[in-house]
Amino acid sequence: MRTHRPARFLVAAAALATIAVTAACGGGSSSSAPAAGGSCEPAPAGTKVELTFTSWVPGMQKTVDLWNQTHPDIQVKYTEVVGGNQGTYQSYANQIKAGQTGDLGMIEFANLPSFRLQNGLANIGSCKPVADGIGQYPEWTQSQISFGEQGAAYGVPQDVGPLALYYRKDLFDAAGLKAPTTWDEYAQAAATIQGKGAFIGNFMSDQPAWFTALAWQNGARWFSQSNGVWKVDMTDPKTTQVAEFWQKLVSAKQVNTVPGIGNVEWKALDTGQEWTLIGAPWTAKLLETNAPSTSGKWAVAPLPQWTAGGTSGGSWGGSATVVWTTSKHPYEASQFAMWAFGDPAALALNNQNGGQFPAHDGQTNLPALSQPYPYFGGQVIWKDFATANNQVDPSFTWGPTMTDTFDTMSNGFGQVVNGQGDLVGVLRTAQQKSIDTMKAQAIQVG
Amino acid sequence: MTVSIEGTTVGPGVADGSGPATGAGPSGRSGRARNLRAGLMFLAPFLVLFAAFYLIPIGYSIVESLRTITRTSTFGPVQEVWGGFVQYEAVFSNAQFWASLRRVLVFFLISVPLQLGMALVFALLLDSPVLKGKRFFRLAFFVPYAVPGVVAAIMWGFLYAPQLSPFTLIAQNLDLLGPGLVIFAIANIVNWVYTGYNMLIIYSALQAIPTELTEAARIDGAGQWRIAWSIKIPMVAPALVLTGVFSIIGTLQLFNEPLVMRSVSSAVQTDYTPNMMVHAAANIPNYNLAAAYSVVLALVTCVLSFTFLKFTQRSTEKRAAG
Repeated sequence: MRTHRPARFLVAAAALATIAVTAACGGGSSSSAPAAGGSCEPAPAGTKVELTFTSWVPGMQKTVDLWNQTHPDIQVKYTEVVGGNQGTYQSYANQIKAGQTGDLGMIEFANLPSFRLQNGLANIGSCKPVADGIGQYPEWTQSQISFGEQGAAYGVPQDVGPLALYYRKDLFDAAGLKAPTTWDEYAQAAATIQGKGAFIGNFMSDQPAWFTALAWQNGARWFSQSNGVWKVDMTDPKTTQVAEFWQKLVSAKQVNTVPGIGNVEWKALDTGQEWTLIGAPWTAKLLETNAPSTSGKWAVAPLPQWTAGGTSGGSWGGSATVVWTTSKHPYEASQFAMWAFGDPAALALNNQNGGQFPAHDGQTNLPALSQPYPYFGGQVIWKDFATANNQVDPSFTWGPTMTDTFDTMSNGFGQVVNGQGDLVGVLRTAQQKSIDTMKAQAIQVG
Repeated sequence: MTVSIEGTTVGPGVADGSGPATGAGPSGRSGRARNLRAGLMFLAPFLVLFAAFYLIPIGYSIVESLRTITRTSTFGPVQEVWGGFVQYEAVFSNAQFWASLRRVLVFFLISVPLQLGMALVFALLLDSPVLKGKRFFRLAFFVPYAVPGVVAAIMWGFLYAPQLSPFTLIAQNLDLLGPGLVIFAIANIVNWVYTGYNMLIIYSALQAIPTELTEAARIDGAGQWRIAWSIKIPMVAPALVLTGVFSIIGTLQLFNEPLVMRSVSSAVQTDYTPNMMVHAAANIPNYNLAAAYSVVLALVTCVLSFTFLKFTQRSTEKRAAG
């Protein structure tokens, strides 16, 4: 009808116009500025600098408050966010695309390359606080934040997650078992414990970073790059050895197969259904909070080794504080980051409130980290973790699309624990999928 | 009584009064222009919001799905360039995406007929004169919808997990979180949340049935069952069609419940539903691929919804004619 045509035409025209506008806007978009490692100068004396900082460490506000009290010229505005994989990484990625990141953020080591890929991280290696202090962090954390580039620093190492073995000392003593020192002993103990109607531990099918740390311990090197060409190798003999070891335990039902971090796992640990937990320092606080009825019965032993007397380790988690490329005050931001994760007072607060085990070398000198831990029968567990931290292999590098690699791994592991396929096959699939995803991101894979 | 949901413009033939090229005279022309301007001003708030929150995001998604990224070196600057259909090729060759689509369609068959059937039965019960305590039941059936979807999924996850559930007889003997039954477990959560909502829609349609019809039927000697079967259900057919379309759209967008179930069940993958795959692709972050998945999912949803509508329209027309 004639009378309705103008209205319909208008709506259609409006739709086309908006699409055309967005296309035009999109056309000139994101050739994002490279993270220039240029000069990093402090603001002129007397200027008031305001920084924004987001992280998900519980109680971080108290550390920030301490800084704000003692540094009136550099005020930090802190916002707590949810865990990276729970949605914060996606927020960060959106912010980078929109060019609206703040000054400081928190990123786990495994995800650093992905954010480097999005040109979101500023290189603060030339900033004086970083250049002066970075040597006080363990070598393996330095290589995580420098991507092998001389003098570069794309973040400040915040905390680390070297693996160790949490075990129920009371149950082990009662069964006449000692904490296993090699993986062979672990397998033997698994069979014994199965005979008593419990599990030695849990194969965490939903925590691919946990499995990665175990492969890391054995010397696996999944990702490497030279001259901008990447190589992916997730099925090398070292990784296959680890995968086959756990496959045997899973198939023989000598390990539990529930999601690794969640109420089901805490219930199993709290009721003696699982006797050990392969975990990081940050797992201690989770265990204490979520398995309260077994307080005093746990102890920490070094991670079992592949060869008797071996001293190698891997890290589960661990994170860095990064300065975004859009930050207008990289000098002050890096100054804050180095203080928040290097100053003894700050480290004590982080550990007390957030359960963080600091990356900084001075950890064991902290009085807070030399206290006996009642939950672990009075053991000073941080000493064991400090030793484990020094054993972490420094040559492991992460791939540029770890969220995708981890997704493929956890999907495959989930199928394996439900009876379909095997762990080595999952790693083969993950390798191929990682290569495909990297190519879709225009990364050269050799 | 058919209701067509797409707006068909039906109106009397209006003389367009275009007349000779010079127009019908100053009052006629400017009168029409004034009407048009007034109409636009009333529409403007809606048009602005419609464009900002509906058209522009859709346009942006479509544009993003046609692009791809290039870079000069691994950690060099990123350039978004025209990619043609390269993202769509990736979508159509991705077996997991089509498996997830099949999975939500199976989910639809498991969940929706039962859900709408229960909604219909509850609505009929509420409408029948026999039931006591109508106000209480109307609220009780609707309360699950007031529970946020994520909270409902967490709660049911606790009830399903054998190590956490108080109902040990069921939870420990039926592996509700295993690969065979987890789809039914999720369907149960969705039904629990949405049956009340659909019941209210059908109940409102029942209220619109003229009472003369039911009175006439009662005078003719029909019992409550007969009235329900022969009068009420055919009269609420349009409401059932409406809830059916909503359910198709909602099921194809399934996201919250499977995602939350991942923390208790190892049988739910990150590519369990198409929406979860969009989320996973955006996390890499590969926005172009995620946009392509979204566009394909939207097209599938449109096709299925319109097919359902056409099918139900044709069958009601056939019944009216025959």
